[in-house]
Amino acid sequence: MVTVTLPEIRKAQPLPETKETALDIQELDIYYGDYHALQNVNLPIKKNAINALIGPSGCGKSTILRSINRMNDDVPGFRAEGTIQYDDVNLLHEEIDTVALRKEIGMVFQNPNPFPKSIAKNIMQPLKEHGLYSKQNLSKKVEENLKQVGLWEEVWDRLHMSAYSLSGGQKQRLCIARTLSIHPEVILLDEPASALDPIAMAKIEDLLLTLKESYTVLLVTHNLQQAARIADYTAFFYQGELVEYADTKQFFSNPKEKRSADYISGRFG
Amino acid sequence: MNRKFTDKLATATFTFFAMMIVVILTALLGYVLYMGVQQVSWDFLTSKSSTFRAGGGIQDQVFNSFYILLWTMVFTVPVGLAGGIYMAEYARDNKLTAMIRICIETLASMPSIVLGLFGLLVFVNAFDMGFSVLAGALTLTIFNLPIMIRTCENAMRSVPIQQKEAGMALGYTRWRTITTILLPSAFPSILTGIILSAGLVFGEAAALLYSAGMTSPNLDYGNWNPFSETSPLNIMRPAETLSVHIWKVNSEGIMPDIREIADGGAAVLVTAILIFNIGARMIGTWIHRKFTSK
Repeated sequence: MVTVTLPEIRKAQPLPETKETALDIQELDIYYGDYHALQNVNLPIKKNAINALIGPSGCGKSTILRSINRMNDDVPGFRAEGTIQYDDVNLLHEEIDTVALRKEIGMVFQNPNPFPKSIAKNIMQPLKEHGLYSKQNLSKKVEENLKQVGLWEEVWDRLHMSAYSLSGGQKQRLCIARTLSIHPEVILLDEPASALDPIAMAKIEDLLLTLKESYTVLLVTHNLQQAARIADYTAFFYQGELVEYADTKQFFSNPKEKRSADYISGRFG
Repeated sequence: MNRKFTDKLATATFTFFAMMIVVILTALLGYVLYMGVQQVSWDFLTSKSSTFRAGGGIQDQVFNSFYILLWTMVFTVPVGLAGGIYMAEYARDNKLTAMIRICIETLASMPSIVLGLFGLLVFVNAFDMGFSVLAGALTLTIFNLPIMIRTCENAMRSVPIQQKEAGMALGYTRWRTITTILLPSAFPSILTGIILSAGLVFGEAAALLYSAGMTSPNLDYGNWNPFSETSPLNIMRPAETLSVHIWKVNSEGIMPDIREIADGGAAVLVTAILIFNIGARMIGTWIHRKFTSK
């Protein structure tokens, strides 16, 4: 007798279809040389929501982020199969203009990485890069973006000082402001608060909650509490496999998969 | 007790050898400067060298040294920078790159007299440049290029990857990431590298013997016509540099004050190189501080 077993991930799928999908990841397989880093991932990223990717180190959650904005293209041996549907294009298509793509899909990294320039220039430079030159508009944008991340009140009187004079949390908010300045639709954040103290982390979390009103947020985090606090949807990865994707409340209170339950309760990872 | 003793012994040994190096270097430097400074006078620096009589100066040789250095840098910096950027940012990790790397390494360890003979055969003879500033500068370019490529490559690579990623993630093209993010960050180390290698080039003699030549025309510093034989600016004239002069005076000089000239010239040469090296450090630190202004 022949029995056909569907992969577990398929079973884990039925989801609250409350929000529109911004990025639709379908049958994504990623390889680094012979290493199969992600296996048949199907994951709809919801628009105007915080989508958290959690899982132990090396489970492939950062790989997903870097595949979406094609930052992995230069990694030797990197290969992606499947589709990441954004509007009506497949982001993995060879002929995608990565420069245009990264303008639409911004990224914030784990370690704050402002440019070694003044606070104002950190925001002005990318704008100039994308064709905004008028001094007046640039200063207006600096103010606007810094206000957006709640940094304006803290730094308005020292915009011309080096960004390196800021604290870690301020640097990270400056990096978020810099990403916002070029008007992305989607923001990818790779453990943006893991290098910060709890107060700075709380500020970043509050900021993300306001950002989801106008942006689609995809957040990779190690911190389960963080996902539980601010994410609308949570996807749990384990060893390159999407184990469970669900509404955050449901995921943490009533996980469907045993591995999810074990991870949440700290039995492994 | 035993482990403590070993530790102390190691510390003492390393300190001893470090001190020995310092002592040898200071003694050498001190000797050259002590012997030389007595000979250096304004007159020595600003008069022409003389072939037979005592009291010749080193004016033309000092000028030639700087002039050849200038041209060498004009050739080396753009090529070295381009090569370094290519190796750091564009070269894929394949056999071609590995071969380029081996070539650079080999070139870097090539004895400079061999490069000098190469200059003689290729630039002086085959390209018919004769003993000239140009032939000398091109030979020194080959001498200096591997160092420059490696310096620029290392400088580019030492920029934190996070900086590069920040640019890429903001939708910068690769070219704009290099010019607006990597190069400004790498600039202080590149500049330091340029100045340090300038010191090496300035002191190089063997590569120049048969390319820039061991003579100098009777230079007229009022002559600004770069095509005139006596113009200092002419790049097709032979140009004996200071270090070549020191070597020549010592080995085949027939003037009575050989020792004085050699000592004085050596002191000037060493001082110039010291200034290059100290200047490189100071400018590097200064720019670094200015760029990152903490």
